[in-house]
Amino acid sequence: MIKAEKSLGLVFFPAFDWAISPTHPEREERLLYTQDQLREEGIFDIEGITEFKPDIATEEDVMRLHFCFPDVASVTTGSHLISAGGALRAARAVMDGEVKSAFALVRPPGHHAMKCVHGNRGFCNINNEAVMIEYIREKYGKRKIAIVDTDCHHGDGTQDIYWHDPDVLFISLHQDGRTLYPGSGHLRELGGPNARGKTINIPLPPNTSEEGFIYTIDSMVLPILEHFKPEVIINSAGQDNHYTDPITNMNFTAHGYALLNEKLNPHIAVLEGGYSVQGALPYVNLGIVLAMAGIDYSHVKEPDYDINYNPQDDDITAYIKKLREPVLANYFSPAPDTDRPATGQYYTRHKNIYYDTDGIQESQREHVMMCNDCRGVIMIESSSSVNPPGAGIEIPVFGCKRCRDEGYRLLKEARASNNFVTVQFTDRVNRVYERYGA
Amino acid sequence: MLLGIDVGGTHTDAVLVGDEGVLKSFKTRTDRGNLLGSVTTALAEVTSGFDVKKITNINLSTTLSTNAIVEQKLEKTGLFISSGPGINPENFIMGDCAFVVPGSIDHRGTETLKIDMKMVQNGLSECKANGVRVYAAVSKFSTRNKDHEEQMASAAAGQSDFITQGYRLSSQLSFPRRVATAYYNSAVWRIYNSFTDAVMKAVSQSGISAPVNILKADGGTMPVQVSRDIPVESILSGPAASIMGIIALCDIDHDSVILDIGGTTTDIAVFASGAPLIEREGIKLGGSPTLVRSLQNRSIGIGGDSVLAVTEGNVTAGPERKGPCMADGGDVPALIDALNFLGTSDFGDTARSNDGIRQLAASAKMKPELLAQQALEYAVATIRRAIDSMLEEINSKPVYTIHEMLEGKKIVPEKIYIIGGPARAVAKAMTGMSEITVPEYFEVANAIGAALARTTFETELFSDTGRGVMTMPNLGIEERVDRRYSIEDAKHDALEHTRRFMEKTGYDTSAGPELVEVSAFRILNDYSSSGCDIRVKCQVKPGLIKNLHAKAKGGAK
Repeated sequence: MIKAEKSLGLVFFPAFDWAISPTHPEREERLLYTQDQLREEGIFDIEGITEFKPDIATEEDVMRLHFCFPDVASVTTGSHLISAGGALRAARAVMDGEVKSAFALVRPPGHHAMKCVHGNRGFCNINNEAVMIEYIREKYGKRKIAIVDTDCHHGDGTQDIYWHDPDVLFISLHQDGRTLYPGSGHLRELGGPNARGKTINIPLPPNTSEEGFIYTIDSMVLPILEHFKPEVIINSAGQDNHYTDPITNMNFTAHGYALLNEKLNPHIAVLEGGYSVQGALPYVNLGIVLAMAGIDYSHVKEPDYDINYNPQDDDITAYIKKLREPVLANYFSPAPDTDRPATGQYYTRHKNIYYDTDGIQESQREHVMMCNDCRGVIMIESSSSVNPPGAGIEIPVFGCKRCRDEGYRLLKEARASNNFVTVQFTDRVNRVYERYGA
Repeated sequence: MLLGIDVGGTHTDAVLVGDEGVLKSFKTRTDRGNLLGSVTTALAEVTSGFDVKKITNINLSTTLSTNAIVEQKLEKTGLFISSGPGINPENFIMGDCAFVVPGSIDHRGTETLKIDMKMVQNGLSECKANGVRVYAAVSKFSTRNKDHEEQMASAAAGQSDFITQGYRLSSQLSFPRRVATAYYNSAVWRIYNSFTDAVMKAVSQSGISAPVNILKADGGTMPVQVSRDIPVESILSGPAASIMGIIALCDIDHDSVILDIGGTTTDIAVFASGAPLIEREGIKLGGSPTLVRSLQNRSIGIGGDSVLAVTEGNVTAGPERKGPCMADGGDVPALIDALNFLGTSDFGDTARSNDGIRQLAASAKMKPELLAQQALEYAVATIRRAIDSMLEEINSKPVYTIHEMLEGKKIVPEKIYIIGGPARAVAKAMTGMSEITVPEYFEVANAIGAALARTTFETELFSDTGRGVMTMPNLGIEERVDRRYSIEDAKHDALEHTRRFMEKTGYDTSAGPELVEVSAFRILNDYSSSGCDIRVKCQVKPGLIKNLHAKAKGGAK
């Protein structure tokens, strides 16, 4: 009998009865062959590997971090709440000491869901990892968290949610935004004025292979993590860097994913994208499970590896090596934000966001208090092609007295004005999650 | 008349059941060195005075295969496995005559690497030189494509008395379980068949011409001729026989819990809406999980012979057993002795029980009444905790669809049924928790279950219209299908092939197979359809030839 060297929790929720649409890549059988492979390997019989049933995320779990317009129920279905609940169960298993680490193999994914939610973008409605992180912070008092997003697409949703949070380090490795959805994730995106250098983007060229990914982990991600010293490390484990993935152009492998995971050694991994349902997912998921459990994964190899996998070109290697210096500089010596207003004043950014899946256009004004004592109270004014103007006000987790008072003042002002049809109010200090309006 | 014999680890029980209910029962200690002797004695005793010509069915449950596996009395078996990518296959080797051969089949059943037949031949030559006569051939995903197992088996055909091919055992996925199950099947094949030869001879010599069926761990039976090729299916049938006995004696139609309190252990089973729950994957034996289907059953170390101890004023019972209880001639007081002392049971030599409890109480400076009462409370609390944790486990069993996740039903037991020696005493102590029933004839519930159990069967149809194949692995069926093959076709084929197979091989088909799970996924390669993945599970679920509800009324309520 095989024994896991490190105990591992698995939350496996394939949602066999849910799809975005019949021919959409995010469809029912996405994890069918992964399930077959894991069962055929006897994964669930391994001593030290425990399967957990997902929790169902509550409205409060979602409101802890998102502003949903017009409300949570309108932008989520059972599938989203179970998928996020799967991440919550994985976190609970680790935080309660049931297992050393956990992997939530859940769908639908979440990392393109931003702070404001009007619908589905990039196959995501609510951000599974962020729901989980804010749960961990509230229930277990953790503060410093690192997310390493290894999905092929830039984790723009997670970046948006933590843009102003200096206690959450977000590192995204992805295919360069100039060549792939969502188009963002460039080197110059490195966090808001209160959190410079806590968003780190590593845009990799198309056809990056095992060598390039492992180099990136070894020489960029690990040194940054070592310095940041997070209490919890989370892997947004997208699997679409695989050389067989139909919607991306990378050249990564199951063995590479396993090795990456072994090096990263996350407390919790949450499945994101990955749409090579037959050629990649069964092997990549198996590799990650074995690596997380400390079991030999050297026999995990795609059947067509010797035919279809090509080692990396020299010019790609050279390109990736050149990324090292600016990436490390972004973290260790980020250029100050020249637009930063004085402390006690608001910093405002305008955003236009397109929801590709649902075809929604959103327009936003986001105001953040420049604060030296906490990450700053936030107010977002948002309207979209499906919702009239609404506002979200958030007193941040570990918020200071000034920002708390300011939050309540903003709430009073927003409710008194005729500018907003709905107002969502979040006071993370006193755990108040309220929604006003139609 | 129906005859049931249960040769258990400790006792051999037999009953003869007629239209009027239990006609005769017989109980004796099992002679572990001579199981056949236990069978023939039970057969002769329970039928004496009756016209054996009127016996219409014999069901037999034995621990023969279980004992052989647990005691490692296994025949040297040539194990050949081909595995493909995944966990290192060396981890799954069993016995000292195993060969890992390159070759790979993927999750859809596509051959991705040809099997290395030269290595198979080399291994076979080595086996031949060592006098190996039984073999097991297993490949990964053989339930989707049996080619590699077939190739290995036909290469071994010339030098073997018996070969197990993994795909014939179960349609279920799990390569490690398939390896273990196939290995055990071959390793007990000879001993099981010679035992069965002897039993069949004894049956026919006693003048009985009724069909003989063998009990399985899922609470059902299989025709004896079928069992000869899958002897591994006869393991651990005892607890399932007891559960079926309770179904025969009590009209269970609610969520309920069944306790079988034996000498060393208490077995716990859970019923959902009156039906016993089946283990999702298969039963574990000798440390190895197998593909042998079984009823869900948990065993804890509390029984009548559980030894009593007092540590710092706390009274405990079990999990150790140091021989029989004092009432039965043992040296140290056990749970039954405490029950005897309290007057809630009346087993064996109660004077010895009373002495034992008084002595233990004196050395612990406790009142004997308090000690005995606390021992009982400890036992009840332990059982209660085990029930709760088993229910918790069942109710938190992962599900894979949103529908089940949101609509999922929780099991909340309304009744507890208790059988076994201390049943009545424990039932009294448990009152107030749920409605408790101790059925009549509970001493031979296992043999009653054995006598009345019906044949069961399970299979799965797997069709990949992209590959153009439909298979039903454990029926040995593989057919070509075209793109138009639909879910309705698959349902029809699953039931029809199963029915035909059962008729051909001597199963009782009166209950007929039913569909359990049906799923269909359109498979897209990139963005174009490459066919449909259809899976249909069907079964003949555990059930009874007849029940004794009107004949046996619930006892102490």
